[in-house]
Amino acid sequence: MKRLVVIGLDCLTPQWALEAWLEDMPNLKRLAEGGVAGRLRSTIPPITVPAWTAMMTSQDPGMLGVYGFRNRSSYEYDSLQVANASAIKARTVWNYLSRNRLKSLVMGIPQTYPPKPLNGIMVSGFMTPSKEATFTYPEGVQELLDQAAGGEYVIDVKDFRTEDKAALLESVKKMTAARFRAFRALLRTDDFDFAMMVEMGPDRLHHGFWRFCDPTHRLYEEGNPFADVLHDYYVELDEEIGKTAEAAGDGASLMVVSDHGAKAMEGAICINEWLQEAGYLKLKERPAERTRLTADMIDWPNTKAWGEGGYYGRLFLNVSGREPDGCIPPGAYESVRDEVKAGLEALGDEEGKSIGTRIFRPEEVYREINNIPPDLIVYFGDLDWRSAGSVGVGSVHLRENDTGPDDANHLPDGVFVWDPGAAMRELLRRQERYQIYDVAPSILKFFGVGVPDDMIGQPII
Amino acid sequence: MAKGFTLWFTGLSGSGKSTLAERLRDTLLERGMKVEVLDGDIVRQNLSKGLGFSKEDRDTNIRRIGFVCHLLTRNDVVVIGAAISPYKAIRDENRKLIGRFVEVYCKCDIETLKGRDPKGLYEKALRGEIKNFTGVSDPYEAPENPEVIVDTASEDADASVNKILLTLEQLGYIPADDGRGYSEEEEEGIKERLRDLGYI
Repeated sequence: MKRLVVIGLDCLTPQWALEAWLEDMPNLKRLAEGGVAGRLRSTIPPITVPAWTAMMTSQDPGMLGVYGFRNRSSYEYDSLQVANASAIKARTVWNYLSRNRLKSLVMGIPQTYPPKPLNGIMVSGFMTPSKEATFTYPEGVQELLDQAAGGEYVIDVKDFRTEDKAALLESVKKMTAARFRAFRALLRTDDFDFAMMVEMGPDRLHHGFWRFCDPTHRLYEEGNPFADVLHDYYVELDEEIGKTAEAAGDGASLMVVSDHGAKAMEGAICINEWLQEAGYLKLKERPAERTRLTADMIDWPNTKAWGEGGYYGRLFLNVSGREPDGCIPPGAYESVRDEVKAGLEALGDEEGKSIGTRIFRPEEVYREINNIPPDLIVYFGDLDWRSAGSVGVGSVHLRENDTGPDDANHLPDGVFVWDPGAAMRELLRRQERYQIYDVAPSILKFFGVGVPDDMIGQPII
Repeated sequence: MAKGFTLWFTGLSGSGKSTLAERLRDTLLERGMKVEVLDGDIVRQNLSKGLGFSKEDRDTNIRRIGFVCHLLTRNDVVVIGAAISPYKAIRDENRKLIGRFVEVYCKCDIETLKGRDPKGLYEKALRGEIKNFTGVSDPYEAPENPEVIVDTASEDADASVNKILLTLEQLGYIPADDGRGYSEEEEEGIKERLRDLGYI
């Protein structure tokens, strides 16, 4: 019986996992040497949602109609809605495996709440509202999770914005250990052909501790008490990989993946402050202090564009006949979009030095456009800078996150390591970088299941 | 709670029974159910090998399929039977035996079927090379009150599959795909969490 176990580690970053610290991660190293290891180019944008769903369906964000955690449900101004599993119409790896009578254990994959039926067990990921909701299929599994975890099964850390870094570290480590224990315990309950878990801990720690661990970060202090936090956590993750390989059984194939990586963040570009300065956004009243921008604050008939914050920026245009109080004539859409794009690309740091911003038009990077994409996708400083949506900041540049402490942004490359087993090693396509869309076809091919035509990636075997 | 039921496709040769049976099988497997298909053509190669097409043999064939459906249904398996099953009385016997029984009539006019003729059987039957061919030289008794009628001459397969699934959901045999989003309160909670985490 073939078995494939996939360990997903959100935000595990290649410059550490595959380069600087690989020697300290013997289990990962063994997999890499037996099979393949490379960077995994993520989605545009390289964000947890939609990256994991794109990985599991081999469909790009445009095909999925999901461009981030929140998506416009209509052209109304206040229509951003969080995209959960119900928004996904594409078939996932476990859907195809179920159709072929193969049994799956799926735990913690983002965008799997509410849980949909499958042949096997599903434990929804971190966008589950709370443990009071029904977040497993079958329902009864959630009663077993705390016991399986050997303590409390934690969906996601609470109080991420705490200044008590020691407490944050402790809670992430506990969460990680509990999830791995629960995964291994459930793995032992049945003859699962496919088992996959995603642990969010690496992402939480990168964002919370990067400044302490990366000597190149502008806020790094030599000798700080948290300097080895990330390294030590990676070593612990490797131990968990080893224990999970053992639990998977002889002959099981192990894959380790991440949806994107991480890197130091310079600061935030306050996109809506810039849009005001450049004359594209008009507020009814300038706020006296830093404030989250809401639709009711905007003078819509005199506003051409507004933006959203996040690890990447999103830009929306106010188009006549499309938005309720749109003022850009449809015929001028492209010229206004080009103008805003050029302005954002030219925006430098506080001293005007170029930061290398990259901007994408959705129709140029996605095979299809479903639902409502942003009008522009913005990587400020090629993601060296995040986007901040607040107004009343008093400046376009902010050297801290407007929503709390955060020293890291996302790297467009995650990690891919896979040993498919002795019989398939010769079939591996060896290269330095794979595409996130290649993972699902590879999993299906491993099980001898035909790869559907609408999967856009290529199998790695 | 009982999970098994029998989905019984009946209709003339070439009316789409096997095609729809396979599509339903795959969809219900995807939804985590145990599913088996008893297709008339395949059953006649094993379980009913040696049976011909006299009324007596046809009745025996359908009763055998019904018997297996009954065993599987009571063991929480979704069984999809796909056989011409031309005689109402025998179909009704199976319905009575099995209980959790959903009849799908694959309706299709004879001219369309002659045009399709996927196995070349209508041509042979019309030339007299095949005797006792249902719809040409043997009777077919259409169901009077099937749970679902799919007119495969006018509907595409997707529409037929969706009609059958909706009926199964309405009858309570399979859970509805609720496609629920977050409640307003849940959505606000999630947004707050995403803000704290820096995602938005």
